Amino acid sequence: MNKVMYLEFERCIGCRACQAACRECGGHDAKERNYVEYVNFFENRQTYPMMCMQCKDPACAKVCPANAIQITEEGVVLSAMEDKCIGCRNCTFGCPFGIPKFDFEENKMYKCDMCYDRTKHDISPMCASVCPSDAIRFIDHDEMMDLRRRRTQMNLIEGKKPSENDKWEYVPEFFGVYSD
Amino acid sequence: MTQFVVKPGVKNLHHEGEKLITTHCCYCGMQCGMHIRVNEKSGKVVGVEPRYDWPVTMGKMCPKGVTAYQTVDHEERIKKPLIKKNGEFVESSWEEALDLIEKNYKRIQSEHGKDALSVFGGVSMTNEKCYLVGKYARVALGTRYVDYNGRFCMSSAAGGFMKTLGIDRGSTLPWPELEHTDCFFMAGSNTAECHPTTIQWLWKARDKGAKMIVADPRETPTARIADVHLDLKSGTDSALANGMMHLLVKEGYVDEKYVDERCNNYEQLKESVKIFTPEYTSELTGVSVEKLVKAARIFGQSPRSVVMFARGVEQQMKGVDNVSLYTSMALLRGQIGKFASGVATFTGQGNGQGGREHGQKADALPGYRKIDNPEHVKYVSSVWGIEPEEMPKAGVSAYEMFDKIQRGNIRAMHVICSNPAVSAPNNNYIWDSFNKLDFMVVSDFFLSETCEFADVVLPTTTWAEDEGTTTNLEGRVIRIRKVREPVGESKTDWEIMQLIAERMGKGKYFPYKNVPEIYEEFRLASKGGKADYYGITYDRIEKEDGVFWPCPSEDHPGTPTMFQDSFGTEDGRANLAAVGWQQPGEVTSAEYPITLTTGRVVFHYLSGTQTRRTPFLMEQCPEPFAEMHPEMASRYALKDGDYVYLETRRGNMEVKAKITKAIRKDHIFVPYHWGKELSVNKLTSPALDPTSRMPEFKVAAVKIKKA
Ligand code: SF4
Ligand code: SF4
Ligand code: SF4
Repeated sequence: MNKVMYLEFERCIGCRACQAACRECGGHDAKERNYVEYVNFFENRQTYPMMCMQCKDPACAKVCPANAIQITEEGVVLSAMEDKCIGCRNCTFGCPFGIPKFDFEENKMYKCDMCYDRTKHDISPMCASVCPSDAIRFIDHDEMMDLRRRRTQMNLIEGKKPSENDKWEYVPEFFGVYSD
Repeated sequence: MTQFVVKPGVKNLHHEGEKLITTHCCYCGMQCGMHIRVNEKSGKVVGVEPRYDWPVTMGKMCPKGVTAYQTVDHEERIKKPLIKKNGEFVESSWEEALDLIEKNYKRIQSEHGKDALSVFGGVSMTNEKCYLVGKYARVALGTRYVDYNGRFCMSSAAGGFMKTLGIDRGSTLPWPELEHTDCFFMAGSNTAECHPTTIQWLWKARDKGAKMIVADPRETPTARIADVHLDLKSGTDSALANGMMHLLVKEGYVDEKYVDERCNNYEQLKESVKIFTPEYTSELTGVSVEKLVKAARIFGQSPRSVVMFARGVEQQMKGVDNVSLYTSMALLRGQIGKFASGVATFTGQGNGQGGREHGQKADALPGYRKIDNPEHVKYVSSVWGIEPEEMPKAGVSAYEMFDKIQRGNIRAMHVICSNPAVSAPNNNYIWDSFNKLDFMVVSDFFLSETCEFADVVLPTTTWAEDEGTTTNLEGRVIRIRKVREPVGESKTDWEIMQLIAERMGKGKYFPYKNVPEIYEEFRLASKGGKADYYGITYDRIEKEDGVFWPCPSEDHPGTPTMFQDSFGTEDGRANLAAVGWQQPGEVTSAEYPITLTTGRVVFHYLSGTQTRRTPFLMEQCPEPFAEMHPEMASRYALKDGDYVYLETRRGNMEVKAKITKAIRKDHIFVPYHWGKELSVNKLTSPALDPTSRMPEFKVAAVKIKKA
């Protein structure tokens, strides 16, 4: 996999297309694995998406007593294997981002797998494909580094607060998520 | 004809046992490109795959687009004709349903004359079908009364563009150019929720430093990201635009050379904007002087700007004036007809652009021709094979058809692809009118609120079960492909019109065996008109990623950028608008102290007939709400989630309060996608624009209390 997930929280418009799209992924059983939350709806409409960070040494896998959470050679952290998962839900507590979800009816854990059926062919995950605001992107590592530098430049030229809405106060502007 | 269209080097995920068919979303005017996943064995629609190489939307979709396919093989589809017997719908055969329609149509026309029948159309259909609705009404039924739901959507934009520019094409520039724009002035458009896939272009431009000014009473997700948010009162757009132009003139931002060479009325405009000082504008609009000045400077100094607007400015009693004034802002800056600049309206319905051009409107004929022009009538009659004398006269606008029902002039109505029981203003009046009809037919694929009033419901296909073309918000004509065979006994709208025409003895005027045959006739009917599609073929659309009208011949490249050399008016010059200030049709009073405004949410489309049946969308937004500022909530002792009672002079409702600081303190917002007791259109105002006959959905005076 040559690409990385790149998030720009500030761009999120709260449309939840990423969640609708997550349900569409093969093997996702029409259940979304990502989250979109309001920062504070009383104050304004800023939302942000949250999905698996595909951590290098993932807490969810480490706390799994059954060794059910596999990591692919590309570093993608998969949902727990059904036959191994014992339903203890350690992973849902262990993950610092609260990503793994638990299906009580089926008694199994499910989580964002970066649309492994797509990304293993270098096809963009569903959420990044559809996000109409480019809040979630699936791009080359170089492009990401370039974007980060360019954004900093723009902030220097334009000042930190280009708008009268205090949007910058609510969320970090961006960060990249590495997959390898 | 290729089913799966993809450019070299673009990767899509192909699932085993499935094929991909390339088409566009059925919902809004963005017409996002998509591939539909079809199971090869069962022929059923199973999912969606992004169309990464569609140049307007690049694979992106909003949640409606992602889930659109779910309406096709939906369990609530109407699969057989329904006839109401003793107040209950009973399934019937097509024969029986058509017999009943024929009997009643003929009886009513012989008793009350030809014009006792009427047709209420819609523009969430292909060009081929929209074109046929006008012909069906006028030739098959011989009635003058035909109009369509675009009156609640695009008619003010159309009226304003006709007045100022002489041609009504929704956007004067192609969307991918937006990336190179320096400033967006957006009024009354919650683009982030209503046309979400546009946002990617705004960010691309903003990454290069472009500025964004948004005028909206709410701090919508669109306004939130603006550089200046002009938080105006609903219904004060004409004051705001005049105030902006006052500053453009005063501060020397007018492109005098352009105005001199290409525009009329500059002196009158200067005269009429004189009184709109920032102070006076601020008093009328409620926007601070500081913001007005800041916005005018940013807009005035930007080398390339686009003025964009939508229903917020159009669904007003002064909708046409608002559009003319905002368009004049772009003209003063010399922007129209140039690269990455111009003026655009966001078309609400999928084919709101194409559907309004080809004769579904009470006074219009194909190719944007006018029914009161004898030459136009002569030409279209020759294409249709009728005598010009047989062409009915102009009818009345959508809302006014209900007045005609009340007065007994219209006795029967055929509603096609529309749900006015939810989407028309002043619902109680609409419902009462439906009840007064002698006979009512509705074509739809779900049992909408309007269907419930019908005597006969005819099951139609969804967009995925038929082919054709639509025209997106840019004016680009694109291809909708057939994805699967019709579900159950449903038929396409064109087949239904054809069958009824046969019953009315007019079958020979509707001899089509397939959609391309309708398209051929339609191209010819539009030939030589303002909206000329003659040079556009299905083949070209496929090869050229769509073709922009006007395109008069097959060797013409189409017209992505409008008005490069001259405008569509008689003298080729644009008409600047000189219009003063006028109050909205209803203003707040001691009894009704709050302004009620309505609109969409990202999860629903129009009257919600489809999106309310889509699980994901209903989970996100199951019911309407009254959005208000905490200051207002506190005054009425309301907490978030409390039920609040709203009442206007026309109707009332109870909804949950949703509290946020992202709205003016004196406004309440309620989305309109629900029917019956949840329909905010019971409360909205039918004050009509004098030109476009657009009702003033956006401004009503309301009183509230804790329920
Ligand atoms: S699709 Fe993009 S803009 Fe929409 S909610 Fe998800 S991250 Fe936000
Ligand atoms: S990467 Fe795939 S699995 Fe993860 S949130 Fe996005 S769509 Fe869902
Ligand atoms: S509703 Fe509009 S923006 Fe959303 S996917 Fe469909 S065409 Fe695109």
